[in-house]
Amino acid sequence: MRRQFKDTAIRLAEHDDKLVLLFGDISVFLFSEFKELYPDRLLNIGICENTLISMAAGMSAAGFHPIVHTIAPFVTERSYEQVKLDLCYNCLGATIVTCGGSFDYAWDGATHHCYTDLELMRMLPGMEVMQPGSKKEFDTLFSTCYNNGNPSYVRIAADEHGLDLPVEFGKGVLIKETRGANLTVATAGPLLGNVLSACSDLPVNIIYFHTIKPFDRDLLERFAGTRIIVVHDAFGLFEAINATCSVKAEYHGLPDEFCCYYGTLEDIRRKLGLDAAGIRCAVETTLLQDGNKGSQDAQTT
Amino acid sequence: MDRISKEIRENILRIAHHSGHGHIPTCFSIIEMLRAVYESMRYNPKQPDYDERDIFILSKGHAALGLYCTLARYGYFPISDVFSLGVFGSNFGCHADRFKIPGIELSTGSLGHGIGVAAGMALGFKLSGNSRKVFVLIGDGEANEGSVWETAMVTANLHLDNLTILFDNNRSQSRCLPVTNPEEKFTSFGLKAMTVDGHDVSAIKEVVLCPVEGTPRAIVAQTTKGMGCPTLVRDVFAWHRRSPNSDELKILLGELNETSV
Repeated sequence: MRRQFKDTAIRLAEHDDKLVLLFGDISVFLFSEFKELYPDRLLNIGICENTLISMAAGMSAAGFHPIVHTIAPFVTERSYEQVKLDLCYNCLGATIVTCGGSFDYAWDGATHHCYTDLELMRMLPGMEVMQPGSKKEFDTLFSTCYNNGNPSYVRIAADEHGLDLPVEFGKGVLIKETRGANLTVATAGPLLGNVLSACSDLPVNIIYFHTIKPFDRDLLERFAGTRIIVVHDAFGLFEAINATCSVKAEYHGLPDEFCCYYGTLEDIRRKLGLDAAGIRCAVETTLLQDGNKGSQDAQTT
Repeated sequence: MDRISKEIRENILRIAHHSGHGHIPTCFSIIEMLRAVYESMRYNPKQPDYDERDIFILSKGHAALGLYCTLARYGYFPISDVFSLGVFGSNFGCHADRFKIPGIELSTGSLGHGIGVAAGMALGFKLSGNSRKVFVLIGDGEANEGSVWETAMVTANLHLDNLTILFDNNRSQSRCLPVTNPEEKFTSFGLKAMTVDGHDVSAIKEVVLCPVEGTPRAIVAQTTKGMGCPTLVRDVFAWHRRSPNSDELKILLGELNETSV
């Protein structure tokens, strides 16, 4: 997905001389081609996230479409006030593109895990928040938002959900609807792949969101009468669902403790019960609690 | 202190008394810097957003009342408007809102932000081949924030010679974390730094107007919190966020009038 970021940036920069990349000393080699094509429009500013965000606000005020790119925890958690005030309060548009969300840097430990970014950004007035689960979703969402004058947050993932889904900014996707089902599984980002593996043969509905804010109220309201289980390896989706309309939702995701394990993304997901087996177990448990057998008449879109 | 500087300070005192708000000593330490900038930069109070204007950002946003009274003096709005300071529904808050006040380029308040935004504007103007300049005023207390020095390094590395940092060295952090030898610090961070009398409009204008090439500039202005009123200078911490009652207003106005011209 990070390569897609590079390809999309090159494509857009050709027609937009106001597109400027401000990097926090990551992805520089990957963007060599961009640097060769547009040497003045990729600035590797330094390992200074507060300044990166403030400067992006200033560049926006000067008429540019700045894109800040660095590692998720350092720019969202450390520089939260810069995002809040310099971008959101001052209504200065910039796009923050991060990598290392959730447990993408699993092997680096808790200092490099970042599961709060989506929710932190969601809470800020005026901020748009996206968690694409595929290259196609990244390309469409980023291209839609990067120059719209609003502050935006786009999280690049290390893996993908593997599906070719329709993409429209602010719109969720109905993945599976089961006639008579009283349980709906909601998820976001690449974790959809595990959710689908876990639940494709269960009598549940599955709804998917690549855009956390603005949230697709229409899609959620369609299933508001069912019990909802939010399966997500971050905070943000559960809160967005509860903030959107009155629903009976529960969360299968992160515990209230640091994840002090190393290994791979898959290792961490398995430990947290967010691999396909863990998700299936959680969903089946919920189904049994409800006594909800529903119909096996599944229709997958 | 000339008539204009006294007039601005008198308005600050009267509005602080009327509203019950105001950081008077810190406002008093920056008046001559504000005047020097507005008498040096391109601006048009009748068309505050015109494209070729230079930019001034008050990064130490709690001195907003000082900036309001200066902007009123330079024609942005009548001073009578500012008497609504801090009232529900007023455009004039204790920290400025760029969407409400003409001439305010950035809504500030939390320290350590304005300098980074100013750097971004300066970079933007340079990339556009534009000759616009950016001035940002920060305080010595504000310079306790790491973001100030983070940005200072970046501005030098990017050769932002269209950026001027005005450092209000009123030594407000003497009881806490003093920023000693700021000129030396800015120089070591790669900026062109110089020290001036922060209450001498002509001296500040002279360095502001002096062209620099290849490096951003830091002007360390030696200032006194509460300059113009000995009561404020003597008891600077007690007056940090106080507004004067009627008796105190009389005393402070009397002291201001007695200050030599």
